[in-house]
Amino acid sequence: MEFRQSVYDNAKQITDGCMGYEEAFCTAACPMHTDVKKYIRQIGEGNVEGAMETIREKLFLPNTLGRICAHPCEAACRRESEFGQPLSVAALKRYAAEKADEKTSWDTTTGEDTGKSVAVIGAGPAGAQAAIDLRKAGHRAVIYDKLNVVGGMMRVGIPEYRLPREVIDFEYSYLEDLGVEFKMGVEIGKDITFTDLRAQHDAVIVANGAHKGGVPPVKGKEAQGVTNACDFLKEVSLTRQSETAGKRIAVVGGGDVAMDCARSAWRIGAEEVSLLTLESFDELPASKEEIHESMEEDVRFLNSWGTDEIIADETGRVQTIRLKKVLSVFDENGKFAPQFGEETMEIEADTVIFATGQQVEDVTGGLIEQKGGGRYVTNPETLATSEDDVFVAGDASGGYIVVEAMALGKKAAKSADRFLNQQELEEGRNFKYEYSFVTNLDVPLPKGTENLPRQSGNHRAAEERKHDFRPYDLGYTDEQAKQEASRCLQCECKLCMEECLMMNDYGECPQDIFGQFLQDGEIEPIVPYSCNVCGGCTHVCPNDYPIGETFMAMRKDFILHNDGKSPMEGHKAIEMHQKLGFSKVFTTKVKGGK
Amino acid sequence: MTASKKGFMPGCSLPSYTPEGVQKTMEYLKEIYPDLGGVQKCCGKGTKALGQEEKFKERFDGLQQDMDDIGIDTMIVACQNCYKTINETSETTKAESLWTLLPKIGLPEEVRGKAKDSDVIFAVHDSCSTRYEREMQDGIRWILRELGYRVEESENSFENARCCGFGGMIVPANPDLANRVMQRRADDFESDYVVVYCAACRASLSKVGKKAFHILDLLWGPVVHRDDDAPEDVLSKPAQAWINRYKSKRVVKKVVKA
Repeated sequence: MEFRQSVYDNAKQITDGCMGYEEAFCTAACPMHTDVKKYIRQIGEGNVEGAMETIREKLFLPNTLGRICAHPCEAACRRESEFGQPLSVAALKRYAAEKADEKTSWDTTTGEDTGKSVAVIGAGPAGAQAAIDLRKAGHRAVIYDKLNVVGGMMRVGIPEYRLPREVIDFEYSYLEDLGVEFKMGVEIGKDITFTDLRAQHDAVIVANGAHKGGVPPVKGKEAQGVTNACDFLKEVSLTRQSETAGKRIAVVGGGDVAMDCARSAWRIGAEEVSLLTLESFDELPASKEEIHESMEEDVRFLNSWGTDEIIADETGRVQTIRLKKVLSVFDENGKFAPQFGEETMEIEADTVIFATGQQVEDVTGGLIEQKGGGRYVTNPETLATSEDDVFVAGDASGGYIVVEAMALGKKAAKSADRFLNQQELEEGRNFKYEYSFVTNLDVPLPKGTENLPRQSGNHRAAEERKHDFRPYDLGYTDEQAKQEASRCLQCECKLCMEECLMMNDYGECPQDIFGQFLQDGEIEPIVPYSCNVCGGCTHVCPNDYPIGETFMAMRKDFILHNDGKSPMEGHKAIEMHQKLGFSKVFTTKVKGGK
Repeated sequence: MTASKKGFMPGCSLPSYTPEGVQKTMEYLKEIYPDLGGVQKCCGKGTKALGQEEKFKERFDGLQQDMDDIGIDTMIVACQNCYKTINETSETTKAESLWTLLPKIGLPEEVRGKAKDSDVIFAVHDSCSTRYEREMQDGIRWILRELGYRVEESENSFENARCCGFGGMIVPANPDLANRVMQRRADDFESDYVVVYCAACRASLSKVGKKAFHILDLLWGPVVHRDDDAPEDVLSKPAQAWINRYKSKRVVKKVVKA
């Protein structure tokens, strides 16, 4: 049956704009789209097992991410934008993992064997995620890594006081459970050529990370005691010491890697640790937590200083660093273009660690083109390269943080799977959901929302923790976790569904009901005839959508197509009532006055 | 400029519920407006709610004719649906709510403060159809205060009003849902005693166990004390309701002609 145009127009407006299914801020911001809201609710309800199940639907590294994720979810959290006190999402994830992650409940099913084999270069988060997804799709997955340990940068970049190595090993045992094969200590380009690797497999995913640190062209950089963050952190990670480092360590850089270097410096026995940053304190790119914890550990922050010259002593060892004052770091277009003033100062140091960026080393023998930072040139949506059978993921394709690397691994695996199945790489894919996005959710704060402070974790005292590699953060107690979880606002727009009982009988939000109507081109009369037309839905709808009005318009068309009568059996009585209400017996008109 | 010519129209559910209330209201209005006219007819809201556009137009035209025949330019109404329907449909006649009029003309001396010793605290059920008519909602509180009753507000007062369950003609279409809506509305109120200003809303809330009073019950009837029962749910008894409607029609005639 045909409805009037306004019905279709309104239904389309509601279906397109209804925010009932819009992701919460946290879930949209997470590149893996972990159902944050759900597992936090479950933790709050004391259902930690359930929470763990929710987390594992998306993440194979819950404990790892719970400790070291740069948590874009927290930056996007409504409590961050409103009060600057985001939910401690990562810490809650770690809590759930420590409490309830049982190997016995891991889903180790894999797809039916396809007979295809994929080489994955790199055992970091991108390569691991790609290998998992390939196994789930039934392909053979073989991870090659030049290190003898799994984890990639998580293992040799992130210090172990933040991420205990047994956590990585435990969580990576999932890959073994899935039948992922490992060829460790094998360097592509040296132990086996890229060409041979391609020949042995049906596809290759390059996820070798950005492990090459550099030292900028500073005068005196050849002095002994000058190194880069990658080499330093790798050595400390593998040996808990550094051949290069002395006792007075200066770290150059203002990001999280620089903080890791500075804090690691204490742990290998430094007596003085300075952090030299171009940025002013307020501009530091490092996370608030890392800055705070570094300061607790007495790292000396020298902000707005650039390295002018490294001066060596007579043995060739770093002795002094001359610094020049930074006037500004970025130009008016926000581009990195530091400007320096005349002022200089000198500090004493025997070690300089440059934490100023890292590069991807080529493993393809020049086959795949590289751009800035050594990142491979790819189609950013599919991570496909100039070679049909080669895909790239993780740092090598331009991710920055672990959870992004995982999402890129997933993306590359999906493309590789399509390639192996001779399918179109792009067709029917919702690329928006393959990475972080900004949700369209726009709702008022729930009634009575208060600014409740974030639960701080249980950190060991700085003076104690800075001398060893044991975890500095002991995690939440049960009570703290519950308390923190209870702060979650469970962001969603189901405002009309809280008001309207009727719509709940026919869907989860107006998008269901009107979307179905548009799809089917028809609707059961009971639906529009169950609307009270009370206006409560529109009253609370952030977009004021004319929901009741549209049901009302549908009724008019039902009448037109039913000889002027309501299609509802029960309405016969109403029609009789109305008839009587207009009949002579019950009506009158009386003129007043004389 | 001539003074506006006012009439009173009790509507459908109110005259079916309380001919006495209609009579006392009209008598009082007539004291203030000696030339008061009267129309008893349905505004057609029910027809409109079913979606019967043509029939509604025809029926409303009949009402318009009646109003025009007796020279009314302002129709005083005690039903929020009549208020909306007339104001949305008529190009010449304005509907004026009794609940905004009474604060302007005042209450009769003999009722003012009569309930100051009542131990009942009334919750107010606002009509969803006029959720944005704040002056009307305030008028109801004004009347209650003038009478001496104490009032409790809920989160779903005023513009956040929820349907009583009767709206949109869903009772005959989906009775199970209608019952749930009624119960939900009842649960919005802490007090067992609820005052309404629509007779259909009163019937809905009565059905789910609330002691629901129409504001006119409080205005013209005995003072309500704790443990007093609310008037019975006449609208659930069609025969009784139609007899009342007939009585009300005679009241309209009688009062205007008096």
